[in-house]
This record gives sequence, structure tokens and C-alpha cells, in this order.
Amino acid sequence: MSHHHHDHDTEEMLAQKKAARPQVERSSQYWVNLENYNNDPEFWKAAETEFQSSPLRGEAEEGWARREFLKLMGASIAMASSGCIRRPIQKIVPYNKQPEDVTLGVSNFYTGAFYDGLEPLSVLVKTKEGRPLKVEGHAQFPLTEGGTSARSQAALMSLYDPERLKGPRKNIFNDKRTNKDTVQIKWDDMDDQIVEVLKKGKVAVLTGSIPSPSTQSIIKEFCQAFGGEHYVWEPLNLSDVSQGQIASYGEKSIPYYHFDLAKTIVSIDGDFLGAWHTPVTNSRKFSDGRRNLEKMTRLIAFDSNYSLTGANADIRFKIKPSQQVTVAMGLAHELVVKKGLSQFATNGNVKSALEAYGDAAQKLGINPEVFAEVAQDLWENKGQSVVVAGGLPTLTGQQLGLQIAVNFLNSILGNDGKIVDYKNDWSESLSASWQDLENLIEKMKSGQVKTLIIHRTNPIYALPESLGFKEALKKVETIITTSDRVDEVGHMAHYIAPDNHIMENWGDIETTSGLISIHQPTLRPLWDTRSFQLSLMSWAYLANQGPKRLLAYESYLDYLKNYWKEEIYPKFGQGKNFEAFWQSVLQAGFVGTKPAGAGSRSFQTEALNQIKKPVISEGFELVLYPTVQLGDGSQGNIAILQELPDPVTKIVWDNYASLSMASSEKLKVKEGDLVKITVGSVDMTLPVHIQPGLHDQVLAVAVGYGRTHAGSVANGVGQNTYQLVQFAKGNVVFSGQKVAVTKLGQRVQLATTAGHHSMEGRQIVAEATLKDFQKDKAAGLHKHHIWSMWSGHQYNGNKWGLAVDLNSCTGCSACVVACQTENNVPSVGKAYVLQGREMHWIRIDRYYTGDIANAEAVFQPVMCQHCDNAPCETVCPVLATVHSDEGTNDMAYNRCVGTRYCSNNCPYKVRRFNWFNYRKEIPDPVHMSFNPDVTVRIRGVMEKCTFCIQRIRAARSSAKLENRALKDGDVKTACQTACPTSALVFGDMNDPKSLVSQAFAEPRSYGLLEEWGAKPSVRYMTKIRNNNKESKAKAHGTDHAIKGASQNEEQV
Amino acid sequence: MGKKRLGGFAGIWTDEHKVVKACAKVHALGFTKFDAITPYPVHGMEEACGIKRSPIPYVTFVAGITGLLGGLLFTWWTSAVNWPINVGGKPFFSLPAFIPIIFELTILFAALSSVGALFYLCKLPQVDPPVIDPDLTSHKFAIFVPVNDTGYDEARLEQLFKEMGATETKKVAEF
Amino acid sequence: MMKRNQLILGDKTLAQITDDICQPVETMPSKGWVALFLSAKTLLIFYVIILGIIIANGMGLLGVNHPNGWGTMIITFVFWIGIGHAGTLISAILFLFRQKWRTSVARTAEAMTVFAVMTAGLFPLIHTGRPWLDFWLFPYPNQRGPLWVNFRSPLLWDVVAVSTYATVSIVFWYIGLVPDFATIKDRAKNKIRRLAYGALSLGWRGTARNWSHYEMLYLILAGLSTPLVLSVHTIVSFDFAVAALPGWHTTIFPPYFVAGAIFSGFAMVVTLMTLVRIGIPQFKDYITIDHMEVMNKIIMTTGLMVGYAYACEFFIAWYSGNQYERYVFINRAFGPYGWSYWIMVTCNVIIPQLFWFKAFRRSIPIMFVVSVFVNIGMWFERYVITITSLHRDFLPSNWGQYAWSFFDGAVLFGSFGMFLTLFLLYLRLFPAVSIAEIKPMLPVGRKDLEGNH
Repeated sequence: MSHHHHDHDTEEMLAQKKAARPQVERSSQYWVNLENYNNDPEFWKAAETEFQSSPLRGEAEEGWARREFLKLMGASIAMASSGCIRRPIQKIVPYNKQPEDVTLGVSNFYTGAFYDGLEPLSVLVKTKEGRPLKVEGHAQFPLTEGGTSARSQAALMSLYDPERLKGPRKNIFNDKRTNKDTVQIKWDDMDDQIVEVLKKGKVAVLTGSIPSPSTQSIIKEFCQAFGGEHYVWEPLNLSDVSQGQIASYGEKSIPYYHFDLAKTIVSIDGDFLGAWHTPVTNSRKFSDGRRNLEKMTRLIAFDSNYSLTGANADIRFKIKPSQQVTVAMGLAHELVVKKGLSQFATNGNVKSALEAYGDAAQKLGINPEVFAEVAQDLWENKGQSVVVAGGLPTLTGQQLGLQIAVNFLNSILGNDGKIVDYKNDWSESLSASWQDLENLIEKMKSGQVKTLIIHRTNPIYALPESLGFKEALKKVETIITTSDRVDEVGHMAHYIAPDNHIMENWGDIETTSGLISIHQPTLRPLWDTRSFQLSLMSWAYLANQGPKRLLAYESYLDYLKNYWKEEIYPKFGQGKNFEAFWQSVLQAGFVGTKPAGAGSRSFQTEALNQIKKPVISEGFELVLYPTVQLGDGSQGNIAILQELPDPVTKIVWDNYASLSMASSEKLKVKEGDLVKITVGSVDMTLPVHIQPGLHDQVLAVAVGYGRTHAGSVANGVGQNTYQLVQFAKGNVVFSGQKVAVTKLGQRVQLATTAGHHSMEGRQIVAEATLKDFQKDKAAGLHKHHIWSMWSGHQYNGNKWGLAVDLNSCTGCSACVVACQTENNVPSVGKAYVLQGREMHWIRIDRYYTGDIANAEAVFQPVMCQHCDNAPCETVCPVLATVHSDEGTNDMAYNRCVGTRYCSNNCPYKVRRFNWFNYRKEIPDPVHMSFNPDVTVRIRGVMEKCTFCIQRIRAARSSAKLENRALKDGDVKTACQTACPTSALVFGDMNDPKSLVSQAFAEPRSYGLLEEWGAKPSVRYMTKIRNNNKESKAKAHGTDHAIKGASQNEEQV
Repeated sequence: MGKKRLGGFAGIWTDEHKVVKACAKVHALGFTKFDAITPYPVHGMEEACGIKRSPIPYVTFVAGITGLLGGLLFTWWTSAVNWPINVGGKPFFSLPAFIPIIFELTILFAALSSVGALFYLCKLPQVDPPVIDPDLTSHKFAIFVPVNDTGYDEARLEQLFKEMGATETKKVAEF
Repeated sequence: MMKRNQLILGDKTLAQITDDICQPVETMPSKGWVALFLSAKTLLIFYVIILGIIIANGMGLLGVNHPNGWGTMIITFVFWIGIGHAGTLISAILFLFRQKWRTSVARTAEAMTVFAVMTAGLFPLIHTGRPWLDFWLFPYPNQRGPLWVNFRSPLLWDVVAVSTYATVSIVFWYIGLVPDFATIKDRAKNKIRRLAYGALSLGWRGTARNWSHYEMLYLILAGLSTPLVLSVHTIVSFDFAVAALPGWHTTIFPPYFVAGAIFSGFAMVVTLMTLVRIGIPQFKDYITIDHMEVMNKIIMTTGLMVGYAYACEFFIAWYSGNQYERYVFINRAFGPYGWSYWIMVTCNVIIPQLFWFKAFRRSIPIMFVVSVFVNIGMWFERYVITITSLHRDFLPSNWGQYAWSFFDGAVLFGSFGMFLTLFLLYLRLFPAVSIAEIKPMLPVGRKDLEGNH
């Protein structure tokens, strides 16, 4: 759109630019690491041309010469993200305020962000030579305190996704809106054409939740400009929660839960640790509440899918969706009616609403005493307990009723305002709702939408045909999407104006209200893309319509900065001048404070009348759930996530119909047998997975699979189960529908990374109940007497060790992805996982204990144990794997001949072999994502966890520079920094004061298979279950062999 | 047997037992440089010809010891002196683990040197040495007396061989 | 009994013996041989192509995976190495025990050893991830230094043991061949053969002095080969026994493996000899039913030994009280690979019991079938040891099946192509019975000749 400017540009504007140009880099005090580029004349030549050529027609040719890429970094970061010729000076600031527990190597860290519609995360992005290489936790951020999730760790790979669009595209349709052809188009031309259609008005903007205040205001002003309306929808939204809040308290809210303050947590299908909203924040707070074992939180889960929350529960009850309301109302009945507790005890309306639930326990098939205990437990901790429910499994015909019942319970227990924080809530960042979508569809059907702009949401993929969105879309003249690829939406849209990746973009995010984080671009847009915000601004600018603020600014950064000046600075400025404030924000990455609680509200008891009496149902009920690894499916094209084992089932590269053992026997189906499931008029073919601990009348399937236009990785993986969603009188129903199952006779193999599901009575994951632990700190542990024939080698200086607290680990798998991105570990695909060829350096073993009908789950991260007497080293004929004088078990890849004897002799089987030349498969620009500090292994060599030796080296050299000794916390492994629950602690075992030494000294700590005498440097700490049980202390583990649990094993 | 091949006189037998007796006789008559040629090692031939016990076992022993010490020194030097490195938390000089290597080297040295000794003692290999009679490697036996042997007299030898049952006698140009 | 029966039938004269044995070398090959040779050679070519593909693409083509780091190649390596042992046993140990009957089968048994060791020796080299770097397993001086090999690794012991074994067996075999080459040279009608065998014979003339050195050396080599052959399979068993893996970490392995090796080796000798007797009829007079019967007795005895070993393993697993050990053995017999275990037991322990009956011991068809079964059983023994121990070890989450692929089968069968090609060539080019050694055996059990002793 440069030619427009030449009309507008005045002399002094140009002068300004000229003056501005060189200083941009030279004056910048932030680019210490780029100094050498600044003095490189070649670089300056490049930079000049960069600045003159309009980024709007920035070179779109594919592929990047690496040197070229590096050369341009200086300029690029400065020009990062917003693409417009009128670019002024932009400064972005390294995360240079180094707190105790964040270790900076030579790399630079920038505050970044991750947002997938379920959790706004403030993170740090590690860059080297200007390349983003790793997502790290933001230790100072009040909500997550450094935690990350598997999906946020994988965001890096979506930046380097080879199938991202490399520039704007236009689709050519015939009048039937079919045989489309996608052609390239210049931004200028596209802008002109779009502006023309926008001028016709009747504009609608459909986006996913927009956690960014500045972006929200841009959209608002854009809508003003063209008389448009803004609709916010995405498939996994929390409108059920906010509707419930409105019904119960008359005000909209998506509460923040203070899990760290709760003593008793009851979850009714609210998978707050896994696939429901804000799992990282929740996991952090939840684990904080359990760290002090003496008064650890108790988690009670009523689970209709085997959720991650259920797997971490101290007490887990299997239910089916139609029973959710019964659980909540049953508990209320126990308290209000049976025990006559709380101010509601006298309320007749309440009594009548509850009377139907006197026999809840029987209906649920739960021992009435136990059920009463749960209620009692809640009451004893009133004001310090919480009941949560939500997520796809609760989106039944009764979803509103369930929310009301849960709110009622929290009001009974006086948790409202204390643990349930409705004031500093998530409603800003998770605002998407089904109501908006329905309104939009109405509008479209009635032809009131001429132009539809779709941003960061995918109604074509994530909605069932039956809803008729596609039909309605035909009524829309022009569709514009900002998809980064020709995805399901991009396929139907007239124009694709690809948005920048979040790492290429400026932005702000209001996580919980009153806590706003800011994120900076970490590299110049790889391709000819433009931020969504700037697109809106440019269109308004070209149409010359809309409020001044929208037209006045030349880049999104300017708008952002100004927005902060006007809207946020006054609130948080604390008398600083704005520039100082801005700098401090950029350095800290956020302003504001975490939720602090509020007073309780009065519950409107008449809401209880909206709860329909549940009908006793027989036969299978459907449960749809998002997985921890893929969520709504938008990140489907990231192989690392597809190959990340589901935390509970450990299955990769597929979705499947989970059935209980009993019902699978009834249906005579085995693991992998194909079944046809029918929901209403829709049927679908899925493989069966036999899931211990599932309700016999539940059939659970994951959403997020079956993409058709996401890219070569995601397309055709699994089935698109969004098609099973139904709509019943204003309710969107994901779960609880009747589902018919018929066996088809064919069979497929489900690829799992777990060979077996029982510990066979071995001491692998040591477990004890809280009662046992209070009696004996080493409960559940069978210590072995170990002796050696000779004294062994001495380790002076550092000796590295890793402590894993099984009581904190939730199995969320963030560490697995973190390790994979940090150490350039390849993904191999379903076919090879089936052959047992996955490459993960750290894996999370999941075992079931107890009987298969009510199996409990335990998680255990297993990485190289760096044994002092490493069995792998002794047998290597060429000394390719030997011991360092710091106690690490090192692997010299280039010396490895590949006999694989080490792997055979490793009792933990943590070694991975390069069966083929995986690095040959790597497409551009994925190679840019590789960590330059870690060798990319070739075919025929063995590899394994190195304790992130590159980080040890980096920490040591920076300590040397500051000429000081390494101190505890200087070195943090990738898995450790990713962990949202601080379950992993790395450090020097020779330093008695180090955290790891303290952990090792705990009576709970034990070495895995320590009786084998390998002297591992990794030690685990027993898992404590806070259930009233007293276990008959079994020496070796506490589980019984699970009949039929070996069904998942691959057969030759 | 000198460098240069000598002529001499040979008798040929077809009966193993006769040739042994003949050898004993020839030996008794004081011949020292004579030799018997047989298709296979004939029982009692050494005694008959008065051949001393072969020295090869001494070679074997010495070579064996060399292999043993060599193996011991090499494993010790490489693992404990030249490149001491912590392998599986084991001592640098892990003697028990080195025994198999040392043992095999002992055998190898002993075996190969013994073969070498045979080659030396039998002057092998030789290129197409003269043959008295091609059947001597199949079913005939011979006694060959070189011209330089004490009391070498063809007539006398011929008569002697005939008496001892030789089926054929011949003068040999060189052997 | 060996005293009374003749070692060589049909009242041969020395000349006849020479003629009989040299005949295959000196005449044009029979149609049957050509047919066999061509098919063996085709199989060999197939083998070479398969190995090429594997080396070009990676070990991933085979079923080896995580947790089964070793598979078909190591299994088949141990299988062939084991077979080799019978040859050395016959030529060396039975020689020391003055077992005269060994003479007529020794040569071919040794040939089998040499070829089996060659076939086996290939596997450890190509089963590595980067075969082109195998030379790193040898401790040679280098400038990367100091950089040596790990003398603590059983794999390195293996390299040294197997290469020593190969060298010594070849030397032993060749030394035995030298006088016979001289024989063939002297009988040679045409120039080339005379030249070739003359060179091979190193100019051997068979003077009494040479014979006395020769016999001494032969005795010494026999004496050295005996501990060698025992050590080699002991060390092969260390590949497993030294590892810390339940099912591998077993003190019984050395004797168990040696017994198994002799067992399979003799089975292979019997298989081959029955075929040789058919292929070269005059050899029936040298390799008599008596010989076969003795070998069958050995097969039965060693069969009982391995049977004992199997039982002993189970007892110790139970007796040790080690839960991992116990699990491995229960899983071995009743787990997903139970079928392979029972194939092994049937072929190695049950079927050889037929040889309790003299009639079966002396029936060529029966001994042929039994010996083939024993070979199958012994391959499965190594399969059971390798796979069932690896596929389910300490941490159940690691458990997984071996991903058997087309290439596993191809490699296994291809290796027979290599072995048979070499063996058939040997039958045509070398005297298959030791001429010089067999002749002194002529008088055994013969009234007419015995008298003179």
C-alpha cells in the first residue's frame, strides 16, 4: 500500500524516517548481543534495503538462507511484527532483570505469550542469534510462577511450521462457491479490494476469545468504522460457567479458583488440571496446596471420563454425565436437608428443590457413608473448600442446572468470594460464548452480514454440519480470514490475510482482570504476513473511516503503546512518567496483581427451579473431551503434540472410543476393534480403547482430531468428533447423548507408548496414604540393603542429581515437550511408534493400581537416571558412553557405533536409538527451531537424556564471567523449567544445602530399582494419597496385577 | 640338508611295515642323512630313523607366555595409564574383566608361532620341489640316501633295499 | 565296539582310498551338485542385496526396537557360531581323546566350522547402527588419542575371541589339508591343477622328519583349540550373562551355551554328512553308519544337557526369590512368546530322545529329520533367550513386542545361502576326507592287517 503513502507522505515525515533509521539500531542500548552485527557494513546495507522496501511486499520467496537470516536480525527484531512502511522506531527489551530462579545463558530472553483459547500464559522466549528456540516459564508471573503447558512448549513449532502461508492469498470461487482456486495476491491489491467491500457496511468480526485489551479496542473501533459487530466464539468456551453465574448471582463471571487456599476440592467433571480452562495456573496453585504434606489439600473427583484431574484425585468416583447434577444436588441434600446445615436449611424453596436427591448415593452406586463423608469433608472445610464443574463432559442438556447446583454448593459452604473469586476473574480473557455464535448465524441467515472477518477461530472445522454454519456462510458476500494457512476456514474464505505468529507480534494480555501481561516480538515475521491488528488498522486507514485513534497510528505497536498510555498507565502508573513505566513493564512483562478474593454474594435460590430432575437412563452416554495434548485441535499440525502420549491413555496419533473393561466384554470388542457409534443421525467409525476406571455406561471420545485442512501432519489423524455435537433448545450438547455402538469386525492398531499398565507388584511408584505417612514418613517404601565391593570413584566439585516428587507430578507432560524442543528430539510418526521407536528422552510412565473397574492412576517421569555404576557404560565396546567427573552419564554421539548393548543393559530403558536418518526428513524452516547447543543426531547412534549438559555448561561459563562459583539454582534442566508444579528439582548433590540434597535427605525419597545397585542420580519421592484409607503396608508397591490390562500391548 | 639340493639313491616300497623295518636297518648301518618319504605319518618311523623329538612345544610355550604378558600389559596400560576413564563406576584396572582378552591373546600367539615354527623347521613353503615318485603321496613309501651320507655306495644300497623288500630302486638326480 | 567294527568298509587298498577321496576333485561336477550350487548362489546374491538395503537405510528395517535392542542378527550370529563348535570339537577334542572314528568326519566338520564362523562373524559387523565404523572396535593407535576401546565390554571380548577362533580354526584346517594338497598335486594330469594344488601344498613332500614336526604341531593345535573353542562360546554367552538383565544374567550360561553349541554343531554335521553320503556315494565306506550313530549318541547326550540347563534356569529363578527373574521365566514359558519356548523344548529336548532306540540312531532318514529339528530348535533357543528376556524387563511401561519384519526372515535365510555356497565349493575343490589321516585307520578292525601290529 506504499503508493498510498507517497501521496500522503510529507517532506518532514520522510526526514523523520531518515533521521530515525540508523539510530534505531545504534542508539538501542538493548542489543548487546547484536553489537557485532551493528558494526558490520554488510549488515547495514541489508538493513537499509530492509527499511526502504515496503514490508507490505516483503520478499515472499520460500526458504531462508541461514546466514542471510542472521545478518538481518538486527534490523528485523527492531522492525518486528507490525508491517507497515510508516514504521517508526520500535524498541523491545530483553528480559534483563534476572531473578534468582531464572538462569540466563548467552541466550536472550524476551517476555512472550501463549494463548490457545483456554489459557492466557505469560512466558519467556529464549532466543539465540535472534532465533526463538525455546519457550520458558515466566517465574515472576503471579499466576503460573514459571509453569508452562505441553501446548505452550510446542508453540515454537507452530512458528516454524513449514505449511504456514508465506503471504496473502485469494480464493477464486464459481457462483456455487466451489472449485476454488487459491492464488497469490499482493497486500496492496488485497487491501484495496477488501476496503471496497468493507465500505458496503454490514461487517461482522468473528474471533476467538481476545484476551488483549488493546486488540479488543481496535476491534471495537473497527466495528464502529464499518458499522460492524464483534462476535466471540471458539469451540472450547466457558459460556456454561458464566451463564450459571448469571442465573445464580445475577452477574457474569468466570471465577478464578484459589486452589492453593482450598483444603477440600470436589470436581464434577471439571478437569481443571488437564483439559479444562487455565490448567497451568490451576496446577501451580493446586500443587502449592499439597506441598505441605501435613495439611495437604484433598481432591475428590467425580469423573465420567478418565480425566487428568481424576487421575490425580485422592478419591475418584466414576459417574456418567447424566449423574453430574445428582452428585451436586446430592451433596447439597446431605448438607442442607440431612444435616440441616447453612442458612438455606430453613428455606422451603431449597428443600423442595432438593428433596428428589435424598437417595443420590444409591443412584450413583456410591456407598452412602462414603458420599456423606464427602459432604462432611466439604462442610468441615467450609470457606476453604470448592466445588468445580465444567468443560465438554458437563455440556449436557443439564449444563445450566449443573452450574447452578455447583454455585449453590459453594454458597452453602461459604466458598463464594473466598476460594471462588468472581471479582478478579477470567471473563476478560475467556469471553467466547455459544450465544454469540447463535446470534451470528441468525444474522448471516437473514442476510444481514455482507462481510465476515474470521480471526483465530475455526467454525468450519469445529461445528457440526447440523448447525448450518456453512449454509449460512453462503449468504455472506465476502469472507476474510486471518488464518496462517489455508485451513478449513481459509478454504471457504475469499481473502486470507495471514496473521503473524504470536512470537512475531507485539501484544498485551489481560489474564485475570487486573493482571495484564505484555509480550514482545522475538523475530521479524518469517514470511510476508501482517498482524491481525494492523490489518484492521490499515483497512480503516485506507477507507479513512473510524475513530481518530484507529487511524492515527502507523503500527500496532504505536496503538498499543498509546492504548497503555491512555487506559492502563493511569491505573498502574504509580506516579512514574510513562516512558519509565513502559520500560519497567517491558522488563517485568506484566503489571497488576493476582486475584485477592472478594466478599460473598447472595445466591438466588429461585435459580434452583431451573434444575430439571435427572431422568434415569440406561445404555451408553457419550462423553466428548479435549485432550491435554491437542485441546480444540487448532495446534493439530504440530507433530510433537500428535506424538505426545495422552497423559492417561498413553495413546498417540489418534482418537478412539474409550469403553470400560466390562462393557468391552459385553460388546465382545478388544483394544483396537473398530466400532460404529451413532449419535442421533450422525455415525462415525472409531477404534475401541479399553479404559480402566471408566463408568460402564460411558463412551468417551476426544475432540480435536480429524482435521481436513490443517496440514500434512494433522490431516486425517483420527475422526472429527465435533460432528457428534447436538443442539437442544438453546443448549449445545457435547456429552450425555445416547450413543449406539456396533462392532464392525475390522481392527486397527492404536499406537501406545505404554507397554503395560500394572506395576506387577514391583516397587516402581511408591505410594502411601496420608494416614500411613503421618505414622511413618517412609511409608510405602521397601528400603534395600546395598553394598559394593570397592569404595568407588570420588566426585569432587559438582555432582549433579535430579529429584522427582511423585506427589507433585500431575502427569501434564509439559516436560516431555520441553525436553523435545530443547534437545532436538525427533518425532517419528504413528507407524514407528507402533514398532516401539518413539524417541522421547523423558517419558511419563502411567500405571493403574487397584482393580480394573475402579483403577487409580499414578504418574512417574522417567529420564536417564545417570547411575554412578551405569550398566550401559560397562558394556559399550567403544567407550561412547562414559562417566563425567560430575557424575553425569555422557554420550559421545560421534564415537557411537550403534551396538545398542547399552540400551539392552539399561534397567530403565531410557536410551533411544536412531533407527533411521530422521534429520533427513526435516523440512525448511524447521531446522531453525533447533537448539544450536545440542547436536542433531544422525542415523545409527544411541541418544538419551544428558541432564541438559548444555545448560550446565552455559551456567558455568556465565558464572565464570561473573567470576563466582556455581550456586544452587543456576542450572535448571528443560523439564524442570517447564514443570507447572515444581515436581522436578535439579542441582548439586555435593552441596548439602542445595534443594536437591534436601530432597534426597527426605525419608520419602527412593531410587528407582535401587536394589539393582546402579546408584541412580535421580531419586523419586513417594506419592501420598490423601484418602482416609490405611493401607495394609505392602513392601513392594501397593498395586495388584490388573486383569486384562495388558490388552493394550502391541502384538507382532 | 644343505642349501643346494643333492642327488642320491632311493628305494620304493608298497608295504608300510617293510619300509619301517628298512629304515631301522639303514639307520643301524650308520647312515645319518637319509630320510623316509611316506604318504602319511607311519607309526614307529621316528624310532626307526632315529629322529629327535620336535622342538615346536618350546616355541609354543614361549609364544604363549608372550601373548599372556602382552595382553596383560596392553589392557593395563590403555585402561589405567594412558586413558584412565570412569566406566560404569568400575576401577580403572578391572583385571577380572580383562582376563578373556588376555586368554585369547595367549592362544593366538601360541598357535600362530607354532605354525611359524613348523614352516621354519620344514623349510616351507617350497616351490615345486623334486619328487622321487608321484605315488609317494598316495600309496608308496621310499627311503632316500643322499650322496654325501657316510658310506654312500649305490650298489650296496640297491642290494640292501632289495633285501628289505623294495619293489623298485632308482638313482635320484636331486632331492 | 569301535574296536571290532571296521572304520573303513570294503577292504580298501591305500591306492583305492586315494582314488575314492580325490574323485570329486578330479571329475566334472554332477548335475545334482550344479543344481544345488546355483540355488545356493542365488540365495547368496539375494542375501547380499538384502544386506545392502539394510546398510543403506538403517537397522530400523529389521524388527529390533525399544526395548528389543537385539534381534534376528544377534540370534543368528549365536546360532552359526554354535554350529561351528562341533567341527573344532571333533577335530581337536576327539583327537586328543584318540577317538579314531573322528578321522573320517573331521575334515568336513572343520570345513563346516570355518564356514559357519565366517557366516556368523558377519552379523556382529552389520548389526551395528553404523557398520562402516566397526573398525573402531579394534584397539589401534590413533591421533584422536588417547582413545582406546573398552576391554570391560563383553562385545569386545567377543571380537577378540571370534577373530582368534576364526584364525586358529582356519590354520588348523589348512595345516591338515597340506599333505592332501600334495597328493592331489602329484596325481594332477593337467598343468593348472598341478600348479594350483602345488602352491596350496606349499611344496610338502612327506619326509619322516617333516611328519614328526607335523604331528607335533597337529597335537599342539588340537591342544590349543580345545580351550579356545570352550572359551569362545563361553564368551559369546557372556554377551548375555554379563548384562544385568533378568534371563540373561545367569551363571549357568557358559556351560549351557557350550553344550548347546556342540548339540547344534553335531546336528548340523549329521545333516550335512547324510547329504554328502548321498551326493558322493563312495564316501559311504568312510563315513559309515557307525560314525553317524556315535554322533547321534552325542546329540542325544548334549540334548539332555541343554534340557537340564532349561530346567535348572527355572529352578534357580524360583530359588533366587528375585521377582524380576521369576517373572521373566514365567513369561518365557507362558507369556506372548510362549510358543517359541515350547518349539525350543520340543525340538531340543523331546525329539532327540528318539535316539534311545538303536534303530533310529542308525536310520539315515530319521537322523536327518531329527538333526534338522535340532537346528530349528537351537535357533529358537537363542530367539527365546534374546527376545523374551528383553521384551519384558524391569519397568512394565517399557514392555513391548519384537516388530518382526520381512528383513528379519530374509537375513536369516540369506545366511544359509552364504554357508551352503561355501560348503558346496569346498566339496568340489578340497578332499572331503583327510587322505593322510584316514590311511593309518585302514587296519582298524581288519583281521588281515591287524596282525602286523
